[in-house]
Amino acid sequence: MAEALLEAKNVSKHFGGVVAVNSVSVTIEQGSIYAVIGPNGAGKTTFFNALSGFYIPDGGQVLYKGQDITTMPNWQRVQLGMSRTFQTPSIFPELTVYENLLIGVQSQQKIAFKLRLPSAARKKEIDARIDELLGFVNLVHLKDRPVAELSHGSQRLCEIAMSLSVDPTIVLLDEPMAGLAEAETERIMRVIRDLHDRLGLTVLFVEHNMRVVLSLADHITVLDRGAMLAQGTPSEISNSQTVREAYLGQEVLNRV
Amino acid sequence: MNRRQKQGYITAIAAVVLLAILPLKLGSHSVLSLLHLDVSILSEMLLFAIAAMSVNLLLGYTGLMSFGNAAYFGLGAYGAGLSIHYLNMNFIEGAIIGTAVALVGGLLVGPFLLRRRGIYFALLTLAFGQVFYFIAYRANEFTGGEDGMSFPRPYFGFPGWHMDLQEGTFYYLMLLVFAAVLVGFWLIVRSPFGRTLQAIRQNELRVRYLGLDSNKFIFVALLVSAAMAGLAGALYGLLIMFAAPLMLDWQQSGDFVMIMILGGAGSIWGPVVGSLIYVIGKDIISTLTQTWQIYIGALFVICVIAFPSGLLGTLLNSIARRDVGAPISEEAAPHKARESGAPAGNAAVAAEQKES
Repeated sequence: MAEALLEAKNVSKHFGGVVAVNSVSVTIEQGSIYAVIGPNGAGKTTFFNALSGFYIPDGGQVLYKGQDITTMPNWQRVQLGMSRTFQTPSIFPELTVYENLLIGVQSQQKIAFKLRLPSAARKKEIDARIDELLGFVNLVHLKDRPVAELSHGSQRLCEIAMSLSVDPTIVLLDEPMAGLAEAETERIMRVIRDLHDRLGLTVLFVEHNMRVVLSLADHITVLDRGAMLAQGTPSEISNSQTVREAYLGQEVLNRV
Repeated sequence: MNRRQKQGYITAIAAVVLLAILPLKLGSHSVLSLLHLDVSILSEMLLFAIAAMSVNLLLGYTGLMSFGNAAYFGLGAYGAGLSIHYLNMNFIEGAIIGTAVALVGGLLVGPFLLRRRGIYFALLTLAFGQVFYFIAYRANEFTGGEDGMSFPRPYFGFPGWHMDLQEGTFYYLMLLVFAAVLVGFWLIVRSPFGRTLQAIRQNELRVRYLGLDSNKFIFVALLVSAAMAGLAGALYGLLIMFAAPLMLDWQQSGDFVMIMILGGAGSIWGPVVGSLIYVIGKDIISTLTQTWQIYIGALFVICVIAFPSGLLGTLLNSIARRDVGAPISEEAAPHKARESGAPAGNAAVAAEQKES
C-alpha cells in the first residue's frame, strides 16, 4: 500500500454566499496520477487552489505527508515539494525560456537571494539542469526565445518545465489541456505520462476532457456543484451509474 | 565577456570620462561655461540621477510604483543637515548618517508597504511620504519648519587629512560616488537577487510558486532604494547646504518618477539620461523664461507619447532590432532540433507543432 502524499479532509471554500467547494476529501497516494473532473462550475479549480495554497480553505484540512499545511503560504508548500501550473500558463513573458527556468533553478539551489553571481562550476551545473529540463519537455531549440513569442502549447510546456525546476515530489496541473489543439494535447499527455513514468513524480490534475482523464489517471474524483459525486479508478468511474446519470452521460457514453 | 557586456563597459567608461572633462578649461573656456552652466548643476544632475535610479529599482525592475522616494531623499538631507548642525559631524559622517536615517525610514515604512500591491502600494508610498513631510514642516524648533534649515558644508576628510570642498572638487567627488553607485546597481540587477526582482515585476505569483518568498525580496529592494535615495539626498543637502520640507514632498517624488520615465524605466542608464535632460533642460529653459515648468511639462508629455519606453529605451530598442534582424519564427526552429539528432519521437512532436 503506497503512502498518502497529499490529503484533503472535508475541505470547503465559499465566496460570499456561494459554496464553491463543499466538504471534499481526497487521498492522493505517492506515485499516482490523480484527476479531479467535473463540469464547468463544479468547483474543481477552487478545490485545486485550496490544495496548492492559492486560497486558504474555510473549513477542513490539507495534509502533506501527514503534516498539516492548511494555512501554509504557497511558497513554503513549493519548498516542501508541491509545485503547480495554471490554467493560463503563468510564466515570465519578457524573459527567455532559459531565464524563466533560471529563476526556478536558482530557487531550488537556494541562491536566488544572492548578490554574487554563481561560480563558473555552479553556473555549469545550473545550465546543465536547465538543458535537462528543456530536453524533458523538448524545448531546447527555443531556449533563447522570449516566452511571450512562443505558441500556447510551448508556453505550457515551459511552465511545466518551470514547475519541475524546483524538484517537486508532486506536480499539480490546472487544466493542462485548456485551449490546446489536438496535436498539442497529445504532446502534453505524453509529457504528463513521462512525469510519472520517467521522473517518478506524483501528478494531480484538473481536467474536463474525459478522453484525457480516462487514459491518463489511475484515480479520479468527480465533483459536481462543489460536492463530491464519485471516487474511484477510471473503469469504476466510467461504469458508475451516478456519474453516468449526473454528468458523463451526454459526453462520454458515446465515446467510451 | 560577451558583446553586450563589452558595450556596457565601454559606455560606462566613456560616460564617466565625458562627465569628467566637461568642467575642464581649455584656455579661458570649458564646455560648461560655453553653455552658461555652473559646475554645481552637474553635481545636481548626478545626484538626481541616483535618486531616479532608486525609483527605477522599484518600478523599472521590481514593478512597484513609488511616489514616496522623496521621503528618503529628504530624510537623507535632514539627516546630514541635523547631524552637522547639532552634532558638528564632518562631511563623511553627515553623508553616512543621512543615508542611515533614510534606511531607518525604509525599515519603518517597508512592512506596511509590503501588504499592498499596484495602485494601493503607490498610494501608501505617497501617504507615508507626506507623513515625513509634515513632520519636518511641523517640527519648527528642530528643523526650521517651512523655511528649512541652512548648514555649513564641512571639510571632507578623516582625522589626519582633510580638504575644503569647492564646487569643482565637490563635483568630482560626486562623480566618484555616482560611478560607485552605478557599478553597485549594475551588480545588483544582474545578480540572482536582481533577476528575481525582474521576475517579480513580470509575475509575482509565479515567483511564489517557484518557492520564493517574494515579500522578502521586495523588502530588501525597498531598503536598497531607500538607502540610494537617502545617499542622494544627503549629498544634495551638502551640495546646496540646505534642507527643506519640499525635498520630502510628493512633488519631489514626482520629479524623480518623471526623470526615470523620461530616460527609460528598467534600464541602468535611463535615469541618468533622464536626469541630464531634466536638470540641464530646467536650468537652460529657466534662464530664458519664467514659465519653464510649462515647457518641461510639454517635453514630458511629448516624450511619454512618442517614446513610451523612454528616450534611451527607445534608442536601445531600435538598435537591438537592427542587431537581431528579422525575427526567427518558432516554426523554423524544430528543424534544427531534428538536424542536431533529436530522438525520432521528438521530431514527430516538432512536426506536430509545425502543423498547429
